[in-house]
Amino acid sequence: MSDSGHGQGWLGWLDRRYQITPLIEFLRHKEVPKGPHSMVWYYLGGMTMFFFLVQVVTGVLLLMYYQPGEATAYESIRYLTTKVPFGWLMRSVHCWSAHLMIISLVTHMFSTMMLKAYRPPRELTWVTGYILFALTLGFGFSGYLLPWNKLAFFATSVGTDLVKSVPLIGNWLLQVLRGGPDVTANTLYRFFALHVVILPLAFVSLIGVHLLFVQRQGMAPPLGAKVAPRGMRFFPSFALRDLLLWLVCFMVLLVLAVFVPYGPGIPGMDWELGQKADPLAPAFPGIKPEWYFLWEYQLLKEFPPHLFGLEGPQLCLLVVSLLLGIWAIIPWLDRQAQREQPSPGFSDFGWGAILFLTFLTLKAWDIGAMEPATSGSSLKVISRTCAWWTIGAGAVIIGIRWLLQSSRQSSPPSASR
Amino acid sequence: MRIISSFLCPVLCVSLAAVAADEKPGVIPEKLAGLFAAQGKDGKPTITPEQRTYFDGLNDRLKALLIKTVEAEVITRPEHLGTILALGLRPQKMEILLQDNCILCHTDPEVQKPETLLTLSPAPGKTPSHLNLQDFVDDVHFLRGLSCAGCHGGDPGSDKLEHSFVKEWPSAGRDKDRGWILSFCARCHSDSTFMNRFNPALPTDQLAKYKDSPHGKFLLEARDARAPDCLSCHGVHGIRSAKNPLSKVYRKRVPETCGACHSDAKRMAGLTLSDGSPMPTNQLAEYRASVHGRALLERGDLGAPACNNCHGNHAAMPTGLSSVSQSCSLCHAGNASLFDGSKHKQAFEEHKWPQCAKCHGNHVIAKTHDSMLAAGQESLCNKCHQQYAKDNPECNATATYFYTSLAQMDQVWNEFGVTADRLAMKGLDVDPIHDKLNELADSLKQARSHIHSFSKNDFQRAADPGEKAVLGISRLVEEAKAEYRFRQLGLVTTIALMGLVMLALYVKLRRLER
Amino acid sequence: MPENTSNQKSTRRSFLDLVLGASSVACLGSILYPVIRYLKPLPRAGGVGPTRLTPEELAKLEKEHFVIVPVSGKRVLILQNAAQEILAVDAKCTHEGCTVQYLPGESVIWCACHNARFDLDGRVLSGPPPRPLPKYAAERQEDGGILIVAERRQSE
Repeated sequence: MSDSGHGQGWLGWLDRRYQITPLIEFLRHKEVPKGPHSMVWYYLGGMTMFFFLVQVVTGVLLLMYYQPGEATAYESIRYLTTKVPFGWLMRSVHCWSAHLMIISLVTHMFSTMMLKAYRPPRELTWVTGYILFALTLGFGFSGYLLPWNKLAFFATSVGTDLVKSVPLIGNWLLQVLRGGPDVTANTLYRFFALHVVILPLAFVSLIGVHLLFVQRQGMAPPLGAKVAPRGMRFFPSFALRDLLLWLVCFMVLLVLAVFVPYGPGIPGMDWELGQKADPLAPAFPGIKPEWYFLWEYQLLKEFPPHLFGLEGPQLCLLVVSLLLGIWAIIPWLDRQAQREQPSPGFSDFGWGAILFLTFLTLKAWDIGAMEPATSGSSLKVISRTCAWWTIGAGAVIIGIRWLLQSSRQSSPPSASR
Repeated sequence: MRIISSFLCPVLCVSLAAVAADEKPGVIPEKLAGLFAAQGKDGKPTITPEQRTYFDGLNDRLKALLIKTVEAEVITRPEHLGTILALGLRPQKMEILLQDNCILCHTDPEVQKPETLLTLSPAPGKTPSHLNLQDFVDDVHFLRGLSCAGCHGGDPGSDKLEHSFVKEWPSAGRDKDRGWILSFCARCHSDSTFMNRFNPALPTDQLAKYKDSPHGKFLLEARDARAPDCLSCHGVHGIRSAKNPLSKVYRKRVPETCGACHSDAKRMAGLTLSDGSPMPTNQLAEYRASVHGRALLERGDLGAPACNNCHGNHAAMPTGLSSVSQSCSLCHAGNASLFDGSKHKQAFEEHKWPQCAKCHGNHVIAKTHDSMLAAGQESLCNKCHQQYAKDNPECNATATYFYTSLAQMDQVWNEFGVTADRLAMKGLDVDPIHDKLNELADSLKQARSHIHSFSKNDFQRAADPGEKAVLGISRLVEEAKAEYRFRQLGLVTTIALMGLVMLALYVKLRRLER
Repeated sequence: MPENTSNQKSTRRSFLDLVLGASSVACLGSILYPVIRYLKPLPRAGGVGPTRLTPEELAKLEKEHFVIVPVSGKRVLILQNAAQEILAVDAKCTHEGCTVQYLPGESVIWCACHNARFDLDGRVLSGPPPRPLPKYAAERQEDGGILIVAERRQSE
């Protein structure tokens, strides 16, 4: 007989066997920090996890009918979306949830960055989150090939081609990734293993670690305080709000899945099944990867074939690796945040990154079948205009901020953003 | 040490002896080496690396043959050697060329004038068109060893300049009266014993056929210099197989070969058709705009007919043949047999009208459309029937019936095609609809073909499956729309329930926080 | 009076709980319904596997010696030759895309559009088509049904 509380009911039953009282007490007192900034940002991690859970469930359901293989991948998806009851819904939800997960993940990453949640003692939470981001992109890339249609085939060919530029092991890496020198059924098998086993195992383990850190340390308080002055109770207040948000997300997901089953149809966000992949046919112009890779795709195009003695793609890869490397070790670079002081320099770096990615993505949409943008397509004109406005607006904003910052040099920095 | 040296010595002696031997491969004799080393005005060697690589890749026999020509001073200049090597001939052809002194001499730029030099890069305005060296080595006769000497006479192995050339040609007036060319080619090509040695599948009746044709009569009876002979269509030096895309009689090039004369108004001036009307010169232009011309020349469809497929090639349009309409049935067999079983067959024969061409034209065969049956401007039926069949009002009715049935099916096909695409965008399964649309398209094609029976019953039998398909498609489209409504309903229900849950949760939250 | 209000409160609370519980169950039901229907396999042959001919198609095959069957977006011509063997080729002529037909009397596959002829293995015998018809593998089953297995590559 244990001597803790909760003697009755199923909680008591569990407690007598597993001593769960400390856990219950912990959950009862768990709090989410409240401060001068909005609490909206604290929901984003959970939202990302919700979309991931949807992916797991729909993914397992799709796995019941999907068959990887040159002669069966496309046909099984076709069968799934046309004949199986609600098969169209499962696929549609899976595709939409992938995109929404990435949007929410990126927002979560940038919000934690801006709010300096990465500062000590939460450096490793940032690092695990960073790895989770990479794994999510891996999910997107590997899953895209599985229907084995023309678009996916060529997008994968173009996408995997990039790894050739990795110095020393480039060719080896290419062959390992593709299961051969070209994209073939072997690639499909490898990507299937990645998407269904390897990445899920890695992802779930890391999420476990990430969540463990968050539970142990609590969510990050606003800048200027090591511990939050006050908080909202997790159970029931935050949890029920979280649940409400998840329901809203689910609603949005369902509406999108029913009314826009193949994606909005803009390049990079279109998953109509189309025709089966034909490795012998030439690539059609205007292939683009999914929208979350468009920035990389466009950046590669910006580099000339040779610069500073390196090939264009190699230099691009170097630059991107450098930037991503810096992004990973931000917790150790940001001295001011370590001292609980605002670090507008890093905030600007974050805004700069957002603008950089937005500009590249919008510009990538401009590129059609190797024709110049004067071909008159209105989407191209719009995306081009948006790209330049982004740069312009960004430059103005950053300029004004610096001016304000330098005029405020004399007065001490404020405790919160 | 002694053992090694005693072993090495004989080996050394033998290899030295071998090196001293004359015909050792790998050793280039002095004259040839000199040609390879010679430099041009710009200081670079005249023989390019590619040409040198080609030489290095030759087998021993060919190398020996080349060395022999250089030693015999048939090839003395590096530019000359370069031309020979630049051809990049395969071994069979190189073997023939290296033993043919005619070509070897005539490719030497120092000895020949532009009017007699065989070259790969003709000088514009100076080099006659028939002296393109590439033509020579591509010629089918060259490959069989029948090169210059075969027509011009003489001995290719001889290096003496004889005047026995062209002994078999007429000595005077051979450009004006070119009938002699026919019998000259025919001495081989009409001799089946001879031709069987080279290609048993080639026919040997070309001259006999040609004599029957207007071309033949023009040349051999009227003795007109404008008339075509063998060389006009087949070329003179680069005669290639008709299956070779570079041949002047390759199917895709036949229209331009025939059109070289037949579209030339000056050349055709004064010539008439068998009925006395002047010979038209717009056939090529009309053909290019026709379905056959566009299929062959624009889409590269080698199944489409060129001039010779309807008119014949050697026996082009024998006099006494009034119409080539029967040749349409070779491909359009279905329509032709329907027509043969119809009322029109007898009527057309009585009026001596060409069968297919009367309605479809001969050269300018355009894409057919249903309005040809209607009563309007483009109607074909009305025009004739008003003039010739005034006592058969049912004919007009039949034409109108054809038109309305087809127009209806066509409209349905277009509309449902668009609908199917819209439904597919919404994520619905449109495979069964597409399949039924295919059935409708098939029936449309069949029905349009069965117009040629000019019989309502026949036409109806072909159109019936189409009308059934139309009903089937309508049903499938309704089913798809119903499925979509079901999906929307399901969504609304789920959203409503979720909304209810959210509302209850929200109120609960408020309660708990109070 | 405090008792009344607390009673009212508890009834309101339990009503709220009831609403919450009921709507949650209903909502869960409307979400699980598609999943349950999805999981049950269809009676007709599974997914990507072979396509089975329907009874109407089988009847047509018996009567006219050939039938055209839709197979995942394509149309396949199934024919029964003089030796009672089942053969299958793509039904779309490689020239201009018309649908071909089987002429049992001449043991040839014929396209009415431009008089093209193919042999029963799909090879071009005469006429304008540039390429042979792709072949499919079709088998007769023990129960009399016919299964179209897959598109065979030309090299096989």
